[in-house]
Amino acid sequence: MSVTPVTSVPRTARTSPALLEVSADNWRLAILVGVVVSALGVAALPASVSFWIVGAMAAMVAAAFVVNAYRRRYYGGLLVTPAIAVLFVMNIFPLLWSLGLSFFAYQSNQQSIRFVGLYNYIKVLTNDIAAPDNWNALINTAMFVVLTVSTQMIVGFLLAMLFAKQFPLRKYLLILVLTPMMLSVVASGVFFTYYYDPTFGILSYVMNSITDGQFILMDSKAGAVAGIVFADAWMWSPFVMLLVLAGLVSVPKYLYEAAAIDRVSAWRRFWSITFPYIRGLLMLALLFRTIEAFKLADLVILLTKGGNDTMTISYHLIRIANEQNKTSEGAAISYVMLFMVIVLTNLYLYLAKRRNREA
Amino acid sequence: MGQVDGYALSLTNVSKSYGHVRALQNLSFSVAEGRFFVLFGPSSVGKTTTLRTIAGLVPPDRGRVEIFGKDWTHEPIAGRGVSMVFQSFALYPHLTVYENFAYPLVEAKLGREEIDRRVKETAAMLRLDTKLDRKPGTLSGGEQQRVALGRSLIRRPRVLLLDEPLTNLDAKLRHDMRAELKRLHRQFGLTIVYATPDELEALSMGEEIAVLRDGAVVQIGTPDELYETPRDVYVAGKIGSPHMNMIKGKLAPDGTTIESAIGTLRRKFNAAEAGEAAVIGIRPSDIRLAASGESGVAASIAMLEPLGDVTVVSVEAGGETLRMVLPESAASGLQPGQPASVVLDPGKFHVFRASSGQAIT
Repeated sequence: MSVTPVTSVPRTARTSPALLEVSADNWRLAILVGVVVSALGVAALPASVSFWIVGAMAAMVAAAFVVNAYRRRYYGGLLVTPAIAVLFVMNIFPLLWSLGLSFFAYQSNQQSIRFVGLYNYIKVLTNDIAAPDNWNALINTAMFVVLTVSTQMIVGFLLAMLFAKQFPLRKYLLILVLTPMMLSVVASGVFFTYYYDPTFGILSYVMNSITDGQFILMDSKAGAVAGIVFADAWMWSPFVMLLVLAGLVSVPKYLYEAAAIDRVSAWRRFWSITFPYIRGLLMLALLFRTIEAFKLADLVILLTKGGNDTMTISYHLIRIANEQNKTSEGAAISYVMLFMVIVLTNLYLYLAKRRNREA
Repeated sequence: MGQVDGYALSLTNVSKSYGHVRALQNLSFSVAEGRFFVLFGPSSVGKTTTLRTIAGLVPPDRGRVEIFGKDWTHEPIAGRGVSMVFQSFALYPHLTVYENFAYPLVEAKLGREEIDRRVKETAAMLRLDTKLDRKPGTLSGGEQQRVALGRSLIRRPRVLLLDEPLTNLDAKLRHDMRAELKRLHRQFGLTIVYATPDELEALSMGEEIAVLRDGAVVQIGTPDELYETPRDVYVAGKIGSPHMNMIKGKLAPDGTTIESAIGTLRRKFNAAEAGEAAVIGIRPSDIRLAASGESGVAASIAMLEPLGDVTVVSVEAGGETLRMVLPESAASGLQPGQPASVVLDPGKFHVFRASSGQAIT
């Protein structure tokens, strides 16, 4: 900067140290030393020792950055550092690491590791033995996405329309309706295993008393899917309701009065007044629920364990990566899934934006 | 009760409560067809509730609402031929100006060409032709106001209700819109019911004004009637600016004078009222400085408020503060603290009973 501020409050308390000056805030020197020592350590020492040396060097460089930031008063940077560190360690690093793994042949219970390029991807998508299961799980997932999301959207929307009106006990009923969302998925899953249980479940009990014979919901694919979709809708419709309700209450009441005086029919009143206020929130609910439905595994595990052809891609992935120890194959499937979710969400966002521009 | 021919609108003993709050109490008035009728009163006296009752948005608890001789009290909104402009304008935010205009017409099942013709016509009348494809959010307050007006007029209502339509506009725009509304009223011969807390709007626009208090009508009359012969202290205090001076006093037994803090005032009154405590009202424009040699009430000047061509002068006399309006030339030499002698025009006294506030004639 060539401009010198007239009021000379020094922004940097000290000048940066020279490259070779030994000082706690000399991050350039720390990087240099870290790279050299790590390289030497990896080259000369066994892996079990060099691993720790590389770790120690990384810690040293990080410490130098922190001291540097503190001494030069980069407090903003210092404050976000913990969050970025957590993000990096918990999200970005595993993401990149698994991306790398997907190009290797590697199993977590074996020592050997070998670069295979796109082989894993080709295998999970086209291999005669492995691919059909993947595709089947994917098709099931797509089915669950369509069924659960549409059920939740419709039920959530209708509930919101109901709760947007005033009626006695509304407040208490609202809390009751919201409860499923707050329960642990495992707890809800266990409820539903009991409801659906063929011997002492209430559903079978009621059905058996109406029709003769033994009613078992999980007997057929249709029944099993219906059971899972119902449980999922029960848990997550309130979420959609909450979002839509927020939109509904934000519609100014005088608009409805104006519409009443203009003698506008209920149908047009909804589409031209109410809907614009909830469109964005419906889109948000759709986005959230679609992403979540794509990852559906918990209820399947609890209710059917993937039986009756209810295997979803998420559950399939857990089995492959964790139970069968096919780590790199699992990584490849994950990336295929991630790619699909990204494409889908961007498609939503694109459509939402286009609608907004039109409107 | 029985509708007189020519009344566009008639409310009879209408009452409405919201919980414990009594919004309207036996409200009655009639509006002749083509009249510009003003509901005047401070906020929360029931102006809006009255309009909403007429529009049919609120069913009254008791009483009758008649529109062109037909009882609409418990009928639905549709078919009343009434339209309303809300204080908040209530434009449909996601529709363009064109669509806002067309909205009530589409429902009336008019043809596309007829709708288009009427929208263009209304837009031209309100000088909004260039704004037709804009959304209300991108318009200025005055333009939004005109859109709201246009949307109400486009359906050709027989009665137009306006709920404080100028409150949300700035002073200059308010002045322009007053003229505009008067022009529209003349042009269409509409019956207009106009609610406002602003006395200037009420006096300048209203052909007939109903002064409201606590959900009931206190007095109905032309602006001149309300100004010249207010029925009670409330009306006298609300109409006229600066406000009327109120002096406590007592009616003397002789029937011709009133004892007050600023001296004995001469005014004939009904002898039956003698001995009553009273409030004497005198408008600031009916007080003047005494000419040299003329006897007047001794006072001292407390404050000067120059308003351009006139100056509002506050004087203190006998513990009462009187405000008077003097032409700028007469007030130019005055200084606060200076003694003065003022003359109250005895012909312009308004005398009210202190207990009830009713005017004594």
